[in-house]
Amino acid sequence: MKISTCAAGLVLTLVGAVPLAAQFPTRPPPPTTLRAMQLPPFSEGSLPNGLQIVVVENRRLPLVSISLTMPAGSSYDPGGNEGLASLTSDLLLRGTTTRSADDIAAEIEYVGSTLSAGAGADFLTLSTTVLGEHVELAFELIGDVLLNATFPEDEVALTRRRTLSGLRAQEAQPGFLASKYFDAAVYGEHPYGRTATSASVGSITRDDIVAYTAERLRPGGSVLVVAGDLSLGEARDLASRFFGGWSGTTGDDRSRSVPAPKSTEIILVNRPGSAQSNILVGNLTMRPGDSDYYAAVVVNKILGGGADARLFLILREQNGWTYGAYSSQNRPQGVGRFQARTEARPEVTDSALAEILYQMDRLRTEPVPDDELQGARGFLIGSFPLSIQTPQQIASQVRTARLLGLGDDYLKTYRERLAAVDAEGILRVAGRLMRRDSAVIVVVGDGPKIYDGLAAIAPVRIIDADGNPLTIADLSAEVAEIAFDASQLVAGRDSFVVMVQGNPLGALTRSIEYSMQDGRPVFMVKSQIQIGAMGGQSAEYVLDARTLDPISYEQEASQMGQTIQARLAYAVGGRVSGSVSGAVEATIDTVFGSTVYDTDMLATLVQAMPLSDGASFTIGIFNLTQQTFSNVTIGVADGGTVTVPAGEFETWQVSASGQLSWVYWVSKNTPRRVVKMEVVGSPLSFELVATESR
Amino acid sequence: MARLSLIATLVCTVVAIPSSAQQRIEYDDYRLDNGLRVILVEDHSVPVVTIDLWYNVGSGSENRGRSGFAHLFEHMMYQGSANVAKAEMLQLVERAGGTMNATPNEDRTAYFQTLPANRLNLGLWLEADRMRSLAITQENLDNQRETVKEERRLRLDNQPYTWAIFEAPYLTYDSTSCFSYAHSVIGSMANLDAAGVEDVQAFFDLYYAPNNATLTVVGDLDPREARELVQQYFGDIPPAQDPPAPSCDWSVGTEAQEMVRPDPLANLPMVAVAYRFPAHDDVDTPALSLLELILGSGESSRLNRALVRENKSALQAQTLMMPRRLSSTLLVVAIANQGTSVDDLKQQMHDEVERIAREGVTEEELQKAKNTYRSRNVFGRQTTYQVAEQVQHFVHYHRSLDDMHTDLERYLSVTRDDILRAAGKYLARENSYTFLLVPPSSG
Repeated sequence: MKISTCAAGLVLTLVGAVPLAAQFPTRPPPPTTLRAMQLPPFSEGSLPNGLQIVVVENRRLPLVSISLTMPAGSSYDPGGNEGLASLTSDLLLRGTTTRSADDIAAEIEYVGSTLSAGAGADFLTLSTTVLGEHVELAFELIGDVLLNATFPEDEVALTRRRTLSGLRAQEAQPGFLASKYFDAAVYGEHPYGRTATSASVGSITRDDIVAYTAERLRPGGSVLVVAGDLSLGEARDLASRFFGGWSGTTGDDRSRSVPAPKSTEIILVNRPGSAQSNILVGNLTMRPGDSDYYAAVVVNKILGGGADARLFLILREQNGWTYGAYSSQNRPQGVGRFQARTEARPEVTDSALAEILYQMDRLRTEPVPDDELQGARGFLIGSFPLSIQTPQQIASQVRTARLLGLGDDYLKTYRERLAAVDAEGILRVAGRLMRRDSAVIVVVGDGPKIYDGLAAIAPVRIIDADGNPLTIADLSAEVAEIAFDASQLVAGRDSFVVMVQGNPLGALTRSIEYSMQDGRPVFMVKSQIQIGAMGGQSAEYVLDARTLDPISYEQEASQMGQTIQARLAYAVGGRVSGSVSGAVEATIDTVFGSTVYDTDMLATLVQAMPLSDGASFTIGIFNLTQQTFSNVTIGVADGGTVTVPAGEFETWQVSASGQLSWVYWVSKNTPRRVVKMEVVGSPLSFELVATESR
Repeated sequence: MARLSLIATLVCTVVAIPSSAQQRIEYDDYRLDNGLRVILVEDHSVPVVTIDLWYNVGSGSENRGRSGFAHLFEHMMYQGSANVAKAEMLQLVERAGGTMNATPNEDRTAYFQTLPANRLNLGLWLEADRMRSLAITQENLDNQRETVKEERRLRLDNQPYTWAIFEAPYLTYDSTSCFSYAHSVIGSMANLDAAGVEDVQAFFDLYYAPNNATLTVVGDLDPREARELVQQYFGDIPPAQDPPAPSCDWSVGTEAQEMVRPDPLANLPMVAVAYRFPAHDDVDTPALSLLELILGSGESSRLNRALVRENKSALQAQTLMMPRRLSSTLLVVAIANQGTSVDDLKQQMHDEVERIAREGVTEEELQKAKNTYRSRNVFGRQTTYQVAEQVQHFVHYHRSLDDMHTDLERYLSVTRDDILRAAGKYLARENSYTFLLVPPSSG
């Protein structure tokens, strides 16, 4: 009504003087009164087995959204088995005593829906949204999965393999490394500080999954949230029919200790060759029920909540140092953390970090101007109702409030609490939210290029990608050259069978030819691999026949529909130049500082290394898909007798641990030959079938 | 934001869902004196409103030599107006906590915002300001033309396979009898380059007039207040003459056609088979839509089962329905697995389509398709934005908005015979146009 009175007033004053169009305001109309939200009330109950039930009855649509949340998130992963909760959630839907994985998918698809499972830090959740008439099927499937999941061995192997290949691709990424070391530094021994790695996932067995399910997926401590076209009575009846036979309870035995604050330190994760530095700044903040949470949300919106926040405007728009810069806080069950992040070129890494710290300080010391505060609050308050429109969204919000113990009026009062945040509150809470003097700063980047700039900001601790401590001297140290024995390489052709989980699925052949190139003797090595329908790769590289220094490398590979071609030249002093095209596109011209090789060359070079029990070498490897350098450590041990199709061999076992870890078994008799190879943590192995000498 | 719109259009058209019998959407449907059609739907469950303004113009209205205008406007509309500076609209909506976007297609151009209920006035005012006074200047035209080209480079020229979706379907129509659908929504860059600011202004004056638009507002609104606001902001915008209606004189094909096109960005061949389908409001549409679900939607669809799981000849295989006002298109697409030749894949796809056209579907398949359709129908009406899009869909693609109340019944009463008959008519080989997208290496 307010608006129409206002419009009528305008007509009266302007009538006759101006054409009718003048009624149209020339400034945006102001907001009208914020309506109270009519959140559907929720009711609660429980089953005798301890399962809590929360129902948000809403008959507007014939839909029911169901989610069963259990205290079984990744923070309960046993040490060394990080990734267990996630693997368990993926496997829950892969078969029960009466249904195969395909049956489960087909049954829920038949009613036009899907069933999903996922694990976060605190909880593991099974959820679906179905038409009201199919709600019984939804409960039945969830109940079946909870009580009768069988975790078939082949599904476990498949899921683990898929997870591992995803993880391996991630582990080399600077963003992953930055988060991993940030979480570890901020949370210390607290379970939120741990990250799943390919080693921890590779060690998970079906027994671990069965034991985890038996221990943690229990009704006591779990919450069933149902939103939509169903009453509490109906939900309880269905739950007791399908989850009634489920029993047991589970506690929270997670460590709650967090590290004592230390003075601000920069952890520099040396990643030679990085074109950008990933910067994370942050610290622990508050528990979920903290009354300062709302002011902290506004602080984050102003500092780094999007394209009109300070970090983005200053780091990107004004300075062009980065593509984006943001800040956020999370709100887990335990203590949360604040984090500001950006990616910047090496030469402006220090400027970008200093600016982030300066902007954090400004919020702690200068009151926020009124229009900026109003813009931030306006967005947060205004957008909230957009996030509770569907039964699924409502269920998710109610679940969060419930599991974090935020109180029954949390959703109802959320907007009012944000509206009450003022400039003074922001100033006070910014000081709590951002612990400038005891912050954790992680920078993943090219150490030698960024060290000095960072050291001028705060004390720097250097580590390598595997977490091993490095000294400043290590950053510039050259890798000791390996004294290769080139006489161990002879012209000929070796063929290998490629085994995937013990089944022959492909072939690898490698031939070495001796010839002259530009007046010097060289070895030309050609290798060709094909693994079933998964893909193939051919590579051709040239090594100096006396020093075994690399001269060139060409590769053509295709895998699962992706192809990649590379053509690189290697020069003395660690220079690599050329191009990569296909799934990855790059022009390369970069210098490592000492001789580098391609991973593929290792299979040839290990034969010529000075092998002896306990020997260890370091070799520089250039990763062409990511255009990064890394040092790979090679360890030698006695490999015992190895039997492969080509015969029985006494061997050295040579392990190369880098981004991809390989183990080679090299025959002790001269000339040495690689008789077997394995990729660690994968089902792939290669066994020598025949050799031909020329 | 506006850049993603072509993709969004596609997604929208693909999931364009008609109605449900079980919850009737009540609306207030009226016209202002200047011809603006207004449809208000009250829904007080959450204090949110969606403003969804559809102009009855898409690429189908463009004339030869002037293609790309409809799409260009999707971008021009953010360049400011008498009382709103360039890009200010986005900032005002964001600061109010709202979201907004726009999507063009062949038949209409949609502009939508979802806002907290107490900012309904802001959203309506912003829409009205650009309808009455869009800043069509040489400078804006020049830089939005560049934006469109950039979008084309990013979305079309720089991605494998996109040609099959964004360009190929239009080649199946004859440009003399159906120019409307014989050119793509993204348009011709040469035509855009040749356009002067006066051409763009003339297009705006004719098509972006109140008598050529439908404004739908859904959510936590008071109908009296909403009527007053709409009258105040839009009431005095002058109407234009009624624009000519697009036409398309098409028929079911009588000879199968095929085209080979190199795709320099693809690693594996793709086969896309397009079938000309009747207009969306045709009696056969329910049967054809269910058939489309059975053939190529989901893990257990015919194509996925046969080509991906059993033959292992394809990495993925699916169908894509593009509903249109004058003639729809069904696209059957598959990407070859390694070791499968493009000709083998093509043959297998035609075999599957011909099998379903010859033998029909099973009762179980039909029931599953109906279940899926009905679920999507309800899932697709959960938010104010979804309801607004539904209303607009019925206004623009059906004979009457009231079809909204009965449409689901049409789908649920489809029989196996209906499907067999419709498939026989439209899935005939003679009505197909096969596009072979081949990577450079496999020539």
